[in-house]
Amino acid sequence: MPAKPKVAFFDFTSCEGCQLTIVDLLQTHLGLVNLVEIVQFREAMTEKGEDYAIAFIEGSCTRKSDEDRLRKIREQAAVVVALGACAHLGGVNAMKNRWAIENVQTYVYGEDGKAMYESYEARPISAVIQVDAAIPGCPIDRFEFLHLVQKMLQGRAPKLPDYPLCVECKLKENACLNKLGKPCLGPITRAGCNAICPTYGDGCEGCRGWIPEANFDEMREILRGHGLSDADIDARFTMFNHYQMQHMGDDAPVTTTVSPVKDEPLPTSTFAAPQEEPVR
Amino acid sequence: MSLYMFPKEKLAAFVEALLPNYRVVGPVQTEYGYAFDDIASPEQLQLDYTTTVLPPKKYFLPQREVLFNFSNEADDQGQPHLDVRPVYADVEPTVIFGVHTCDMNGIMLYDKVFAEGYKDEHYAARREQTYVIGIECLRPCDSAAFCKDMGTLTAPPVYDLHMTDVGDYYMVDAGTGRGEQLLLDHVPATMARKEDIQQLGHVLSAKWPNFRMRLKMSKDQTPSLLTLGYRAKLWEELGEKCLACGSCTNVCPTCFCFDVQDELDITMENGARARIWDSCQLREFALVAGGHNFRETKASRVRHRVMRKGKYIKQVHGLLGCTGCGRCERACLVDITIPGTLNALSDEMQLEPGD
Amino acid sequence: MSVLDHSLTTTTTPRAYNGHTSIYLPAIATIEDVQDETRLEKIFTVRLPDGQNLGHVPGQFVMFSIPGVGEAPISIMSSPSRTGETFKLCIRNAGDLTSIIHTLKPGAEIGIRGPFGRGFPVDVFKGKDMLIAPGGLGLAPARSLIDEIIDNRDDFGRLIILYGCRNPQEILFRDTIQEWEKRDDIELMVTVDRGDENWTGHVGVITTLFEHVDINPYNTIAVTVGPPIMYRFVTVELLGKGLTPEQIWMSFERRMKCGVGKCGHCQVNHRYSCQDGPSWTYAEALAFEEAL
Repeated sequence: MPAKPKVAFFDFTSCEGCQLTIVDLLQTHLGLVNLVEIVQFREAMTEKGEDYAIAFIEGSCTRKSDEDRLRKIREQAAVVVALGACAHLGGVNAMKNRWAIENVQTYVYGEDGKAMYESYEARPISAVIQVDAAIPGCPIDRFEFLHLVQKMLQGRAPKLPDYPLCVECKLKENACLNKLGKPCLGPITRAGCNAICPTYGDGCEGCRGWIPEANFDEMREILRGHGLSDADIDARFTMFNHYQMQHMGDDAPVTTTVSPVKDEPLPTSTFAAPQEEPVR
Repeated sequence: MSLYMFPKEKLAAFVEALLPNYRVVGPVQTEYGYAFDDIASPEQLQLDYTTTVLPPKKYFLPQREVLFNFSNEADDQGQPHLDVRPVYADVEPTVIFGVHTCDMNGIMLYDKVFAEGYKDEHYAARREQTYVIGIECLRPCDSAAFCKDMGTLTAPPVYDLHMTDVGDYYMVDAGTGRGEQLLLDHVPATMARKEDIQQLGHVLSAKWPNFRMRLKMSKDQTPSLLTLGYRAKLWEELGEKCLACGSCTNVCPTCFCFDVQDELDITMENGARARIWDSCQLREFALVAGGHNFRETKASRVRHRVMRKGKYIKQVHGLLGCTGCGRCERACLVDITIPGTLNALSDEMQLEPGD
Repeated sequence: MSVLDHSLTTTTTPRAYNGHTSIYLPAIATIEDVQDETRLEKIFTVRLPDGQNLGHVPGQFVMFSIPGVGEAPISIMSSPSRTGETFKLCIRNAGDLTSIIHTLKPGAEIGIRGPFGRGFPVDVFKGKDMLIAPGGLGLAPARSLIDEIIDNRDDFGRLIILYGCRNPQEILFRDTIQEWEKRDDIELMVTVDRGDENWTGHVGVITTLFEHVDINPYNTIAVTVGPPIMYRFVTVELLGKGLTPEQIWMSFERRMKCGVGKCGHCQVNHRYSCQDGPSWTYAEALAFEEAL
């Protein structure tokens, strides 16, 4: 057996759930450590090796200052893999791109706090550095991760399925949620998760990104049939895929603009506190 | 073979008697409908059921089936050696209850596909281990069905036993010797008498008006309709609508196409080669290395599916590839249906069905 | 003999194992030799267990597998006349599996199923003038037929080979082609779409060679193997020479997963390319809307 390739994990703007999935995978598939040598994995170990060949990066890039760190990883690693929806697509973080960034900063951190927290439009890491492969999903599917590692060790280029979730859902003989009147983006979303959400009765939200042939027009018609407004449908289309839609420009299959809208009111929420008292 | 009968209330005892020695499967109620599934106790079996999402083909060609295992372990000198060991259906003897006539027609086509030319022993091993018990369709099970059009409303000769509900009794036709044995070993069945057979005849004759026709043409005209309509505009329209999700083929009782994939275990020295259901509706189905796609457009793929159903499969195997079960119509989110397509095609071609 | 006859007997398939046979189980073969041919192609010499003869006809293919990676159809380069205990495959590095095949070294164990498909009916070709027009990698399967003709030269009339490549770097079997050039019983012309500073030969697409050839349409069989786009133009030239569609043979590349007429991928209209093809007459192809 040739020397085990050295592997490192990194995180940017994310919930770290994808790395947690890998920690979980190591519980059931400990043999993974016979295939690769993990030299850096903040969530799982204290050592921090800087000599690695494969970098798995979780999280989107949401700060200008993160770009240097990404470029350094790129310089070191022979192979860079985007881990999960945030790194792969920009993910839910890119929803904020709808508003001018100053407004978002003010909304989240307040007038006084906004200057303390750097931010810019959220983007997938491929917008900053060259990415060799991606493992989609929020979070990633552990077996897809394992199979990708195995494929790379064989010297093969990883490849994502380019057919929709419906294929996996049908093979599991699930009742079709769209047929039951529950919105599901399965028909336009890339398979590979074994249709886990629809299997448990939740409609697909598109976290794995769109298939190359996504039929947005018909998908919109199906969702309208469930009584969803066009604004609701736009919101579903952009939940994980806002960045992609933004970069499709006028071709984006949404009824509203996905570019920053300065005047649009920010949503009201009890979670964020834009009206809080200024910090003294 | 012979015609038997047993009282309907004995069905539970029949199932109960089979359970110790057989895997018993049949239609069971699910949250939203019915599915063929394992039966642990007789009351789960629902012989009066609406069409399942997947046909019973999954017991003969599972969604994923290992064809062989392989290993690539190194010898003392560190030289890896390849070994392959085929896997044959490690299926236990199985009894499938309640197969509708449309699905039995699907099994008949499968038998031809996997036996003609090269014999597929992986299929054969499952088929041989499985008893098919049909149930006569006396009322339409689904408004999407058009079995009467497709001539699949009668049981084809693939069953081991075929049951017809004649009121207080099931009349049971033994299609095979092993089916007859299965019946006689597990339920107190009696030979049907002349008057019973007459009653069966009445029941069978009375069922036909319950079923409607949906096609504007005879099923025997579909091959020539499709030949004439190969370049119809309809395919472009359907291609625009199609989601390319493959649901229509995955739920189809006659679709049999598969992909072959290798999977490795965690050591990467051992693994399995498996076949997994594939669909001609998916983009990569006819893509070759180098990038040429022989069915690039969705229109060409939708057309290919309908051509297969209504023409190509008949040219190769002598049977139409559609059983009129209506599953693809139930599965399609954009209302692409076989009757709708064939009727629209005959309209576009301005064909009169004739008398 | 009808040209549509094809035999279901193959050397390696189906293989018996514990009383069952499986049409999907490969024979374990050994790579005996690997030769670099061009930048993209390598020639692999393959030995079946116990040096068993592959028993193929020109134009057939085998299913080549590396368990753990996958399996793909590969056309056979060796002629039956030059197949003993080993046979040769010329493989282009063009995808997932073939990129791994290109890393194989002599001694590696791989899986072979087949030979499969309808090859060229060599017996039907006997006594005919043969015009063989391969494009690019199409020379590999055509080679199987050309060598068979050369090794039974008296059984055939003229042997005309018109070979077209995109550029000089893509030309296969350069040494062999030089040998063909020296023979007075082979009429050979090679062209490239675009030459380079060292190229002194013919420049132009393959169809530009046809004006330099006179054939007797009454007694000629044409065989063309190449990318799909090439067939459209080559068939026009051949018909222009007075050949009928029945006299023109071609070979179709399709995606194949099983090789035995089950998986559905290689279907051309109702025909399975792995069983009823990959060799077809142009007359047959014309009847299939999907063929060309």
